Amino acid sequence: MTRDQHQRVIWTIGGGKGGSGKSFITTNIGICLSKLGSRVILIDADLGGANLHTFLGLLPPVTSLSDFIKKRVPHLKDALIHTGVPNLQLLTGAQDLLNAADAKSALKRKLLRSIKSLESDYILVDLGGGNALSVLDFFLMSDGGILVVTPEPTSIENTYRFLKSAFYRRLRQAVSSYSAKSLIDEAMDQKNEAGIRSPYELLREVRRINEEDALKIVEEAATFHPNLILNQVRSKKDIEIGFSIRSACQKYFGIQLHYLGYIVYDQDVGNSIRKRRPLVLENYRSKAAQCVTEIASRLANSHRMNPGI
Amino acid sequence: MKRMEEQTYYEILEVSPDAGLKEIQRAYDHARETFHADSLAIYSLFSEEEMRKIQAAIEEAYRVLMDEALRRSYDQSHSHLIERSSREKQVEKPVKSSEIRSDLSFTDLSLETGEITYRGRSLKQLREKLGIDLKAVSAETKINMKTLELIEEEDLDHLPAMVYLKGFLKAYARALNLDPQKLIEGYFQLFQEKGKK
Repeated sequence: MTRDQHQRVIWTIGGGKGGSGKSFITTNIGICLSKLGSRVILIDADLGGANLHTFLGLLPPVTSLSDFIKKRVPHLKDALIHTGVPNLQLLTGAQDLLNAADAKSALKRKLLRSIKSLESDYILVDLGGGNALSVLDFFLMSDGGILVVTPEPTSIENTYRFLKSAFYRRLRQAVSSYSAKSLIDEAMDQKNEAGIRSPYELLREVRRINEEDALKIVEEAATFHPNLILNQVRSKKDIEIGFSIRSACQKYFGIQLHYLGYIVYDQDVGNSIRKRRPLVLENYRSKAAQCVTEIASRLANSHRMNPGI
Repeated sequence: MKRMEEQTYYEILEVSPDAGLKEIQRAYDHARETFHADSLAIYSLFSEEEMRKIQAAIEEAYRVLMDEALRRSYDQSHSHLIERSSREKQVEKPVKSSEIRSDLSFTDLSLETGEITYRGRSLKQLREKLGIDLKAVSAETKINMKTLELIEEEDLDHLPAMVYLKGFLKAYARALNLDPQKLIEGYFQLFQEKGKK
């Protein structure tokens, strides 16, 4: 895990589809980490519907990232909202940054630098379910990307689609030749003319045109370690799906996925959301809260997570 | 990042080159469960042809690695690849999958899932394949030899009722690192088929 002088770690929570539990997980893991005494900032960057504040029982925030962009507040830290939970702050409006088609990449980079310079131990970014390029970039730039998936075909299909987009984008950033970049772009289309169906076939084609770029692809695959949380599991068989997804990723992408843990299906989750009271505060003894707590403590103790995800 | 054709049998089953038979059996069961047509985990990822290729590779890897002589000969002829992949693994994977499992408190879970159920005879075959003596099972589980033999022979007439038998089956399954539930389910079906309770 890479940490700078402030020991700050940025995790992004994305992939899957809407409703797989990313916001619930982001909020509750954030609270668990803050309860352990760490300073935590939650960033809401869900393009589909930013509502982390609702998970925290707060009214729609009056300050957001836009206030910083439009220079209504001098520092990004002034756009942070106190959540009422000690050590836990919230930044909303990051979806505007990701969504803005006209936002120059220089501006995006500057904002990312500002986010990275916030005084905190952990920054958790809820990316929502989309796979827009900005979302992928954020996912790739963090210290650890976490995918949330439920044991359903639709969720798994979307997760693989997101993972493929993120992986190919990472490869595209790593290779230097124009021809290799074009090939990767082409490979993103499943019905491409070059007949590339998998990362291995992409590697084979890149090797034909540029050996150096082929080596870069191999290196990137070896250091790409996204994390997985399986949500709403109802049986032991469901739990095992996490291990199977890990094996499938190894066979298909040639990457090592890290199975962080699972959260059991629990009606207390729905009840806590309806009450707008985070589960780990409302009912910390519930099964789902215990699963979240376990994952959070694992993240806190984690010293293995790889720098490049 | 290696294609299936370039992977060693150990890589195909995701076990280390010094894996024991129990570990290989578990890895095989897991791989078979993962890469079958109805598996949720592979949904939308592989074509039918790719699946056939993976399944064939898994079966071949299992066949060779579970046979002492075949494995020795394979290890000799592929020693350069096995050593290299094991070195690469150390660099690429600082965390062993087994460590992750225990770290995640997944240790109470066995890797056998889904359609695989065990009964007495299949249990015996598996035990013999793993090279475990019934006496060793008896010593580990504290179940007497006669009862273990009755379990393996599926002798329902002389076995205790299911309610008592469950404990024995659980202990026996654990001794072989299998999911106890799968054995209990297998036996339950057996009792149902024979119309006993």
